[in-house]
Amino acid sequence: MPSPRFQVPERLKLVSTKLSYLLQETLRGLRRGGWMNWAAISTVTVLLFLLGVSLQTSWQVSGVLNRLGSRFEVAVYLQPETSGQEFQSQIAQFPDVSSIEVIPKEQAWQDLLADLGTTDIVGATEGLGENPLVDALKIQAKSAVAVPSLARQIARLRGVENVQYLDEALKHLTQLNRGFSQISLGIIALLTLTAIAVITTTIRLIVVARNQEIEVMKLVGATTSWIYLPFILQGITFGLVGALISWGLIVVTRQFIQAAFAQQPSFLRALGEGLQLTPWQTMVLPLILVGFGSIVGIIGSLFAVRRFASK
Amino acid sequence: MSSTFQRLQAQVETPVNDHYTVQLRSVCKVYPQTRFSLLDINLTLRQGDFLFVTGASGAGKTTLMKLIYGAERADRGEVRVAGTNVGLLKGNRLSHLRRKLGVVFQDYKLIPRWTVSENVAFVLRSQGVPKAEIERRLQPTLKLVGLQKRADCFPSQLSGGEQQRASIARAIVGSPKLLLADEPTGNLDQDNALQVLEILKKLNSLGITVVITTHDMGLIQTVKAPVAQLDSGRLQVVPAEQVL
Repeated sequence: MPSPRFQVPERLKLVSTKLSYLLQETLRGLRRGGWMNWAAISTVTVLLFLLGVSLQTSWQVSGVLNRLGSRFEVAVYLQPETSGQEFQSQIAQFPDVSSIEVIPKEQAWQDLLADLGTTDIVGATEGLGENPLVDALKIQAKSAVAVPSLARQIARLRGVENVQYLDEALKHLTQLNRGFSQISLGIIALLTLTAIAVITTTIRLIVVARNQEIEVMKLVGATTSWIYLPFILQGITFGLVGALISWGLIVVTRQFIQAAFAQQPSFLRALGEGLQLTPWQTMVLPLILVGFGSIVGIIGSLFAVRRFASK
Repeated sequence: MSSTFQRLQAQVETPVNDHYTVQLRSVCKVYPQTRFSLLDINLTLRQGDFLFVTGASGAGKTTLMKLIYGAERADRGEVRVAGTNVGLLKGNRLSHLRRKLGVVFQDYKLIPRWTVSENVAFVLRSQGVPKAEIERRLQPTLKLVGLQKRADCFPSQLSGGEQQRASIARAIVGSPKLLLADEPTGNLDQDNALQVLEILKKLNSLGITVVITTHDMGLIQTVKAPVAQLDSGRLQVVPAEQVL
């Protein structure tokens, strides 16, 4: 008895026929596009590069701000003879305090010297005669709103030299970041329109060049989606290639900047580390670029074929 | 073919019937700018009929064909192909109807960059037919029009007659029940015209309904078939015997 041969299901055959047709036609269209393809791809690349950079910058600025300190944090510097341990229980009684961390002056001195890149702690201390710093407390407030009043209350305590919180500085930095984001958004919106216009023109030219084929296709019963789907795929290809190139450029630029920071003293190096993205951001950035690029490609190509398809 | 004439004579009384391949009832098409018009056209064709449509240039032969394959819509009246009202079809439904018919043009409409095989196979590719099925259908079709040895030639390497035969191959590769040939011999010399006509007759003998528009009376006289004459916007049917 002959063994039954493996049969490819008809549905699968149909899907593979359709896919191979769509891919072939898309490639044929791209070949026909010539240098116009590159006009479309480079516009999309510039758009996505700017989008990626501004998104990345806003993430990085948030990262740096987080490193500088939380909006909930109050730093308390005590008078030289006062011990941080004594104050801990007193401050813990304030209702708005969430947590307290005592930083003894010895630890603060070591951290400062490390930040300045000095390894010879004993030598540096001897040079000054003694440790010039004071004990400090890092207090976490329960809410950002409570920070100013909490700071005022702590400042009134005896033995407190100085109270600092980053609210004002953060406000300015956040405003700066917001301003940058708004300008970027404006430029991105403008570039999005330009990219859509260039893709529309490119695909429309290809459609016109293939007019004879399209006319024959219509006469022999090709459906509208069968005729025009390859053009939509072309638009998506522009978006995808633009996304890949811009992502590559963003990664290279980021690494270049980080390498430049890595060779700087400790403080700047720490700032450079603040420019690093989280694993989640690293993963999401290319997805956003690909998604946005594809949407721009689809819109551009739909504009291009809409008029022809409705004929 | 003479039975076609008897039906054409009685066409006005013919009720709407899905059985007919082509049925035009009181069709009017007017182009106000050119003062050209088709007025009250009635025509009924059954499966296997063969009909010439003749008339002077600008008489409306091509428009009549376009009404049948849905490239134009009638201002009044009804055009039915295989029982379907073509005037009501749009989009994919019109595309699916067109798969049931083949169209041949005076200017062939072959894609110059493609070989004969590619031009013919294009119809099936456009309809999503699998590659193996395209291969299976291609050779017999090319053989039917005598182009099996010219399959890999580009249109520019073919004579006018060969190009028109390639165009016929493209029109019939999808196994249509109806073939519309709009001035298929208009650009051909006598020998090539007769060759093309022979192929169309052969296709008709295989059961395909064939409608040919032509203004070449010499060509009409070589085939015993009824003739529908377009004159001043009206269609007048002449029996095959009178033509001869």
